Amino acid sequence: MVLLDIRNLTLELETSQGLIRAVDRVSLSLREGEIRGLVGESGSGKSLIAKAIVAVLNQRWRIKADRFHWRGEDLLQLPFDQQRRIIGRDIAMIYQEPSKCLDPTATIAEQLHESIPTDGLPGNWWTKGRHKRKKAIALLHKVGIKEHQAVLDSYPYQLSEGVCQKVMIAMAIAKSPKLLIADEPTTALEASTQAQLFRLMGSLNQLKGMSVLLISNELDSIARYTHRLSVLYCGQLVESGDTARVLAQPLHPYTDALIKSVPEFQPDLQPKKPLFALPGSIPTLQHLPVGCRLGPRCPNARKECVHTPVLERKQHHYFSCHFPLQYKEPR
Amino acid sequence: MSQLLQVVELCKSYRKQLGLFRQTRVQALDHINFTLSAGQTLAVVGETGSGKSTLAKLLVGIEQPDDGEIRLSGQAVTLSNYRKYNHVIRYMFQDAERALNPSQKVGAMLDDVLRFSTVLDRQQRQQRILQSLQQTGLLDEHINFFPHMFSAGQLQRVALARALILEPKILILDEALTVLDPTVRAQIVNLLLDLQQQQGLSYLLISKNLRLVRHISDHCLVLQDGRVVEEGPTEQLLDRPQHPHTRKLMGLS
Repeated sequence: MVLLDIRNLTLELETSQGLIRAVDRVSLSLREGEIRGLVGESGSGKSLIAKAIVAVLNQRWRIKADRFHWRGEDLLQLPFDQQRRIIGRDIAMIYQEPSKCLDPTATIAEQLHESIPTDGLPGNWWTKGRHKRKKAIALLHKVGIKEHQAVLDSYPYQLSEGVCQKVMIAMAIAKSPKLLIADEPTTALEASTQAQLFRLMGSLNQLKGMSVLLISNELDSIARYTHRLSVLYCGQLVESGDTARVLAQPLHPYTDALIKSVPEFQPDLQPKKPLFALPGSIPTLQHLPVGCRLGPRCPNARKECVHTPVLERKQHHYFSCHFPLQYKEPR
Repeated sequence: MSQLLQVVELCKSYRKQLGLFRQTRVQALDHINFTLSAGQTLAVVGETGSGKSTLAKLLVGIEQPDDGEIRLSGQAVTLSNYRKYNHVIRYMFQDAERALNPSQKVGAMLDDVLRFSTVLDRQQRQQRILQSLQQTGLLDEHINFFPHMFSAGQLQRVALARALILEPKILILDEALTVLDPTVRAQIVNLLLDLQQQQGLSYLLISKNLRLVRHISDHCLVLQDGRVVEEGPTEQLLDRPQHPHTRKLMGLS
């Protein structure tokens, strides 16, 4: 079943220099029980999309979409209260930099108790508190924290970044959401903790059928854990499809550059040899090029690239480029 | 082979106040030994709190070691000849955006570096500034730019220009590549590799990203709680990690 179905999502910001289109007609559909990766460099609008899904963008943003369906209901058409109720029930999000997102003035216990919904607990009102404490401890065990009492009694600044991230996940899964959005969950963490967290999200996905939207700016760190992948550049969706297929056979020059710039995907590359790099830098939002936004940096840009390419499809593999890379026969 | 940098039995500990009268000492670095030759890259890998940054701080002279010696081309350095030594080892910070003064133009910032540690006159300084900007792939007009006018990749280049302007022998990259976007990082990595080949620069790379370490470095040092638990040529070490801590860092166990 399709959980989330977004078609042509456009996010615009009104500024003194006119309307800035930060996200330009991005489509995204998520099935139940799927782990989806959303990859893009800083400023590509991936966090904006995540915030648009949980509807926490502030008033200055204009959200437009041809379709914005959550389990068959159009979220944009619903009244505010109802929208909040649905999102609060079904979608949970882990933000960047967990130690800064937790309340510094409250203990972990208080914050975790707050995130556990009272409705689902058994017993009468006078036993709810006890059940809540039990549930909090169970949640911490589930995310792999063994010394639950020490963690519950401490403030966020007393914990390491990895533990904070685990607490955030515990808070997010407290209401057993249908969709977990993880916004760069592992940037500040070490490789060993990273692997732990991905394994944890993978097991939640398998055991509970929870869908995960993994947002990252590094292709290599999430490629192993995702089923499907969407690649963004400057607010445009450049390519999406099954992870293995996209990695093996990128059709868009940007995806290709992204893959080639990571030493891990280039087993033949000798150490100390130059990496493949696109020239130039990411344009700022005030100076976006017309048409395909990769245009000025693209190695095979031509005259037609001043027109925005439409999203084309080739057997569940979507790409938006006028001149897709040639299909190479698998060796 | 000439040993450019030699570190012998380096120790550093910090005092930590526990109460009014009680205090403990935290051993940040415990008898570290390593050597670095010209044109080579040494990677230092470890968890947070393993003493990586302390090591970098001791090398550039921000802090003084408790015990042990740092030898540059066979000569022990002390803080008394700091200015001279400052030319040889330069430090690149993790976040270029926060390491540069937002209210100072790039030209003035680079000029300050030269005025502080060289005896060049105005014209020579100007020439050196332009030269170092060119070296890092920036344009002459960037002299009049403020840091906020650059993109993240360009800022890293400015930071690199500031480090290279004194023509150092060793550059310490303290997580300088981790925060960058992949395509920008590839550009900077290529630039660094180029400089190493042309000028024989040595790098001390402090990083968590083991894939990058494998690509750039020749030797690798694994730290845990201030102690070296494993060291050796990078390829060999990462292909066949012996110590359980190294395996843990690689996410294998």
